[in-house]
Amino acid sequence: MTTPANPVVARVDGLGKAFGTGGNTVTALDAVTLGIRRGQFTAIMGPSGSGKSTLMHIMAGLDSPTSGRVWLGDTEITRLSDTDLTLLRRRRVGFVFQAFNLVPTLDIAGNIVLPFELDGRRPSADEQAWIDGLIDSLGLRERLRHRPHQLSGGQQQRVAIARALAPRPDLVFADEPTGNLDSRTGREVLALLATAARGYGQSIAMVTHDPVAASYADRILFLADGRLVEDRTRSSAEEISSFMLAMERAA
Amino acid sequence: MSRLSVRDHLPSVLVATISSAFGVALLGVTGVIGTAAEEDDATGSSGTVGLMLQIVAAVFIVIAMYVAAIVTANTFATIIAGRTRTIALLRLLGSSASAQRRAVAREGLLVGLAGAALGLLLGAGATFLLTRIGIALGALPDLAYPLVDASAGLPVAAVVLTTWLASWVGSRRVLTVTPLQALGSAQERSAADAARPARTVTGLVLVIVGLALVGFGVLVGLVTPFGVFLGLIGGVLSFTGLVAGSTWLMPPALRLVGRLFGQGAAARLAAENALRYPERSSRTAIGLVIGITLITMFGVGIATFERIMREAMAAEPRLYEGTQQMLTATVVVLSVLLGFSALIAAIGMVNNLSLSVLQRTRELGLLRALGFTGAQIRRMILVESAQLTLAALLVGVALGAFYGWAGAQSLFGAFDGSPGVVLPGVPWTLLGVLAIASGALTWIASLAPSRRATRVSPVAALAVD
Repeated sequence: MTTPANPVVARVDGLGKAFGTGGNTVTALDAVTLGIRRGQFTAIMGPSGSGKSTLMHIMAGLDSPTSGRVWLGDTEITRLSDTDLTLLRRRRVGFVFQAFNLVPTLDIAGNIVLPFELDGRRPSADEQAWIDGLIDSLGLRERLRHRPHQLSGGQQQRVAIARALAPRPDLVFADEPTGNLDSRTGREVLALLATAARGYGQSIAMVTHDPVAASYADRILFLADGRLVEDRTRSSAEEISSFMLAMERAA
Repeated sequence: MSRLSVRDHLPSVLVATISSAFGVALLGVTGVIGTAAEEDDATGSSGTVGLMLQIVAAVFIVIAMYVAAIVTANTFATIIAGRTRTIALLRLLGSSASAQRRAVAREGLLVGLAGAALGLLLGAGATFLLTRIGIALGALPDLAYPLVDASAGLPVAAVVLTTWLASWVGSRRVLTVTPLQALGSAQERSAADAARPARTVTGLVLVIVGLALVGFGVLVGLVTPFGVFLGLIGGVLSFTGLVAGSTWLMPPALRLVGRLFGQGAAARLAAENALRYPERSSRTAIGLVIGITLITMFGVGIATFERIMREAMAAEPRLYEGTQQMLTATVVVLSVLLGFSALIAAIGMVNNLSLSVLQRTRELGLLRALGFTGAQIRRMILVESAQLTLAALLVGVALGAFYGWAGAQSLFGAFDGSPGVVLPGVPWTLLGVLAIASGALTWIASLAPSRRATRVSPVAALAVD
């Protein structure tokens, strides 16, 4: 991978998000400023209600902030129209969700190339070679003609990862990707994400509340009550857990 | 019934109301015409006119109610699919499957009662209005016509019963819901509808025997007009077979039409969506097919008759004067009467499309998150809608043309001066009207669902319930 000019693939500046109106306003994010580094596997951690999911939705162009600005690469996405945001998601962002990742009416091959189909084109020879490589390394070759419901949860999640990586997006967002999996399958999925970052230089931002999941990341950002409270490099699950507990006690 | 289920059932109430109003009004109007005919000495035939009219009316009412029953059964099946989680939860808490199904059937009975009562009022009102208009125009003598005939009780009772029965048939799937489905956020299954071989075989036998009879009727028709009775029996048998076997007739037609819309992502997904629940789509489409087939049948039948007549007229000009206007009027009246069945089927289609969009909120959210634009979503739903109407139009016109031609051929093939076997006549105006109506239906049916679908936020796909 070449070294890019801008070491930050996505950033937010003074980001605020409030839900509800009048007396019922809930502040989900409060003046958050942070950047996701290119080619790294970043975990965004925090307890339920810390604002980590909202942060991800806004960074991915799925939701709009109340205040502050958001960039993906050099593009400021804060003021983009719905259609522009849609095109941005299609071409420059990948997603892996906790559940319901795949379109049930399409087979596995159809799900993986869906981002290209949405653009009304077929993958180029170069892209096809990349996709074939992904299919083989994720062990999906035998499953291409199957429908999502015929696959186990772990296999479905691998398909989602293949789809997210296929267009080589600027940034892949993963929202609790192991939340619905047993722990062994969950570890496999995390190892795949870590490999994608280290092996292919894919930037990944993963939202999780699981210390074991976060221990696979190169960098861990901690959110609490809508604020960024800690920014760490790679840590063990024990260190992450004890920091989380300390945070709980302080609250 | 909770407020939610009242909203669920509005389309079914509408369907029951229309079929009940149609029945009451049609019997009412024929009753009025019968009374007028009895008073009119010139006709001389007194009671027979009224009776004949009522028999004809009954045929059209039965057709409308049959279509209404299919639509209602389908609507209930779709509602049940959307309620799976709730039913599973109740099963988990100890409710039995049959108790759940009885509860659904009770809702069906209430829907039937509400629709039938509303329809009685509307139908009686329509009869009164039409009678006053007839008197004002001088077409009817000014007599004291009864507002509601005792015979109006029949369609009203029939609507209650068929709606109740349809809700029972449509709730069959309640029995397959397991308590476990209340737990876990399992991937939505594209449920493979259970194949029902017995019904397929019955359908196939009916189609083969029926078609053989129709063909035989055409041959007999070359000698005597009584060939039409063979054709009539064959037609009823084979068409019943096709409706019973709609699950193997319609999916190939839907698939074929789906290919016409190209290979774009929106079109491909739409094609798959239309076939996700083959039984449901087949029943949605078959309601339209019934209406279109019957309308086309009369149109083509009469156009073919005209063709035979043109040839016959050249041979025996005096015999066939003045029939032209009567024939055109007949086509218009029959098409309007059958139009009510088509209207009921159209409501079923609009409702089916709306419910199916409502039931895949998360999938739509996923597509939005992955980069489907609002315009692509709208196109996908428009194509889904077009696929249903176009497939129904193609199948209906093909079947109607065949039946209409066979009917005319077996009834009139032996006429004086008839040329024997002719090609089917093509009622271009009628086909044009059908095509325009189908286009309008496609567009109207997609309006509400696509508005709802484009409003789905992509965040909906990420939420875990």
